[in-house]
Amino acid sequence: MTVAFRNVSKVFADGTLALDGLDLEFDSGEFVVLLGPSGSGKTTACRVLAGLEQATSGRIEVGGRDITDLPPRERRMSMVFQNYALYAHKSVHDNIAYPLKVRRWPRAEIDSKVREVAALLDIERLLKRRPRQLSGGEAQRVAVARALVWQPEICLMDEPLSNLDAILRLQTRTELKRLHGELGTTFVFVTHDQEEAMTLGTRIAVLKDGRLEQFDTAHEIYHRPAGRFVAEFIGRPAMNTIDGDIEDGVFRSGDFALPMPGWAPGRAVLGIRPEHIVLHEEPSEGTVAFRLDVPELVEPDILLFATCGAVPLVVRTKAERIDLQRGDPLYLEFPVDRLHLFDPQSGARRT
Amino acid sequence: MSRGWRLAGIAALIAVLVIALTPYVWLFMTSIKSRLDALADAPVWLFTPTLEHYPKVFLDKAYLPLVFNSLVVAGTVTVLSLVVGVPGAYVFARHRFAGKEDLFFFFLTTRMAPPISVVVPMFLLFGYVGLVDSRTSVILAHSTFNLSLVVWMMRGFFEDIPREIDEAAQMDGHTKAGMFVRVLLPMAAPGIAATAVLCFILSWNEFLYALILVAFESRTLTVGIPGLVTPHGTLWGQVAAVAIVATLPIIIFTFLVQRHLVRGLTFGAVKG
Amino acid sequence: MTLKRRIDRLLDKGVGPLFLAPSVLLLVVLLLGPFVYMVALSFTDLSYALPGHDGNFLGFDNYRRLVREDPVFWESFRTTLTFVFGVVSAEFLLGFALALLLFHQIQRRRFVLTLLLIPMMLAPVAVGLMWKLMLQGEFGMLTHYLRAVGLLGPQTSLLGDHRLVLWTVMAVDVWEWTPFVTLVILAGLLSLPREPFEAAIMDGARPWQVFCDMTVPLLRPILALVVLLRGIDAFKEFDKVFILTGGGPGNTTELLSIYTWRINFRNWDLGYGATCAFMVYLVVLILCAVFYKAIYWRSGETER
Repeated sequence: MTVAFRNVSKVFADGTLALDGLDLEFDSGEFVVLLGPSGSGKTTACRVLAGLEQATSGRIEVGGRDITDLPPRERRMSMVFQNYALYAHKSVHDNIAYPLKVRRWPRAEIDSKVREVAALLDIERLLKRRPRQLSGGEAQRVAVARALVWQPEICLMDEPLSNLDAILRLQTRTELKRLHGELGTTFVFVTHDQEEAMTLGTRIAVLKDGRLEQFDTAHEIYHRPAGRFVAEFIGRPAMNTIDGDIEDGVFRSGDFALPMPGWAPGRAVLGIRPEHIVLHEEPSEGTVAFRLDVPELVEPDILLFATCGAVPLVVRTKAERIDLQRGDPLYLEFPVDRLHLFDPQSGARRT
Repeated sequence: MSRGWRLAGIAALIAVLVIALTPYVWLFMTSIKSRLDALADAPVWLFTPTLEHYPKVFLDKAYLPLVFNSLVVAGTVTVLSLVVGVPGAYVFARHRFAGKEDLFFFFLTTRMAPPISVVVPMFLLFGYVGLVDSRTSVILAHSTFNLSLVVWMMRGFFEDIPREIDEAAQMDGHTKAGMFVRVLLPMAAPGIAATAVLCFILSWNEFLYALILVAFESRTLTVGIPGLVTPHGTLWGQVAAVAIVATLPIIIFTFLVQRHLVRGLTFGAVKG
Repeated sequence: MTLKRRIDRLLDKGVGPLFLAPSVLLLVVLLLGPFVYMVALSFTDLSYALPGHDGNFLGFDNYRRLVREDPVFWESFRTTLTFVFGVVSAEFLLGFALALLLFHQIQRRRFVLTLLLIPMMLAPVAVGLMWKLMLQGEFGMLTHYLRAVGLLGPQTSLLGDHRLVLWTVMAVDVWEWTPFVTLVILAGLLSLPREPFEAAIMDGARPWQVFCDMTVPLLRPILALVVLLRGIDAFKEFDKVFILTGGGPGNTTELLSIYTWRINFRNWDLGYGATCAFMVYLVVLILCAVFYKAIYWRSGETER
């Protein structure tokens, strides 16, 4: 069964264009992550899929059935909200039971089902409490339990981890991965955190300005970004990109020159990840000389901010060279198989 | 929402507005109708307007001083309540002291006190000190409910100002009183203005205290209007004219403070 | 240390009591004083109408009279309860419905609200006169139309008929104060967080389930507040009814406040009048305490 956005656009009442002809298709059982900066339309996409927002144009399909006009309750989807949206006036038990209660399940079955899902999330001891008495992590688990208790086909999660502190976020991430493996429910997960996206998603949809930039596995998105935006958005620190020209098999930008035999001439954007640049002690063939501006220690790595004329660059390498000082020369090698080339106008990948 | 429901909603709103506004429109029309039109067997909606009732009642029947009395009373009450109440509200907003909430409750009870119960002893006591039938007596009576309104409303407005402002002002070298006057009052100015308008309206509209405490010279407008209603032949055109003069400025005032109205009328419990 | 600095420091310490004292003082003098005097008066026979009744101590005679020998007081009490219960429930239901209607009318909301404020901000005296004009027996506009469609007999009038008159003054009160209920409940609705509602929708709740399971419980503090405020105000009602009917015909619309007014300022029976006034005060104080508990429960729930 596939879930599909077909040319979906969403214009809000104030004129904001949140989705601009979004096309996206994935299979049930996947863990799909919608990733993008704020304003990219990822949350809107999630809410349109949920039915909380009505698409301005385009269709949403599940298993070939058009559900664009269905109310949320008929879509067999559940949702975990960023601030959890627990019902403050109900106990934890009643919060989790609510989706079953509105579906008029028999009381006994509700009870056993709530207990089952509470056990799955290890929150049985919280059932009698009120949301006010829960910590952030506990509230989060309750919200997930409420979203999973009635076994929806798709569980939507709108930045569910962003209100947790760092350690809890890591734990919960692992937990979600485990839940997904055990339940086989389709997860659609919205985040602006690339690390979350890369670790969780079976596939990641990168959004920008309401459009899909790339939809692929984490590995592909990292190693073969479809365009300059994805390349610069993924990775920490961001991929280095240099605007320049290729002429006679050499890429030039100001003082920076790199032999690139066999590439078509013309304007181009060269990209390379900081961690893929190789640092040499001495100048040798194939290295380019840079001058170190600022070294930044990020154990166990070190970030070297360097320039070659007006071209800035970041290198990420093991923190063995902590002796480096501002002004020291760096001899950098750019392995050819790690280079990316993008079109300066469209930003699209050139192969 | 479907189209049908939306139309039904709009129809309901129109009906509500018609019900809410017709009586007042009718009052206004009566105030500019000739006597004949006003007493016609069937309601008259189209007529030649006349302004004769206004000068007749305000000049010939000397209702103009009543407007003046109402202005003086409401104005003085407003100033008095603000001057006394605003500093008190600040203390409730910022200071901690034993029994604070109990004292605050006392302020609430004074706002809620039934006027008929307060005015009975007040009438006798004011009589002993020779204050009956003076504007002062009404001013004092109205101060009771308006003072607590000020304290209740302004406490909320002061609490909306972050404490850091106080601290910054003190670091800048203000004394506490100086900080209150030069920093907090200007910041609370919109709240003070809204409170002032509400005080004025409540005093202007008040009836029972004024009815009991003043008889002739110091009558306010609200007390004066019923005097025009007599068992034999009420001049409705004149009644309506006075009623319009008594209410139209208030309606305009209301629009000015609309944003703060909910807070004022619920004693700060709901921030509108 | 200069003198100015000394004074400043002294002032800094005294700012709390100094700022608070005038308002407390004024209220004590103007309210606590009369209150104590009223209670004292209720134990005397003071009357301006009867000779020799110049404030002799009676003990609990006035209270005995109130409980045992004054059916009119209790009838008035019943009338008041009917009035309070009737207007508050009608205003609550209509006001709530109207608030929900306006909540979904985003574009027209401000405009409608602005006009809705008019009835509640008019002087109650003007409201009374306005409706007296509308309901006049001979030429009242509403009377005319009600007779024209046959809802009212040719000789009856809404303010003159002893079976209809209480309902009429209640209707006028509903007209005047429903907008207030709407205004407060709407403010409450607008202040509610959106997420629980969306969560309920995602959990599969239908509109009426969302209303019963989310809207009403989340709004409960505000609903309690508006009912109490209206209850207290309705209990004190005087102006409109005084103008519209003066308590009549007979004493069909004689609310407690009007009855108390009559005992004091028509019969000049001031000792007994103080007893009645004290009773009204007591009921309001009790309602007031409930109100205070209710809103403080609320702030504990939402803040902190």
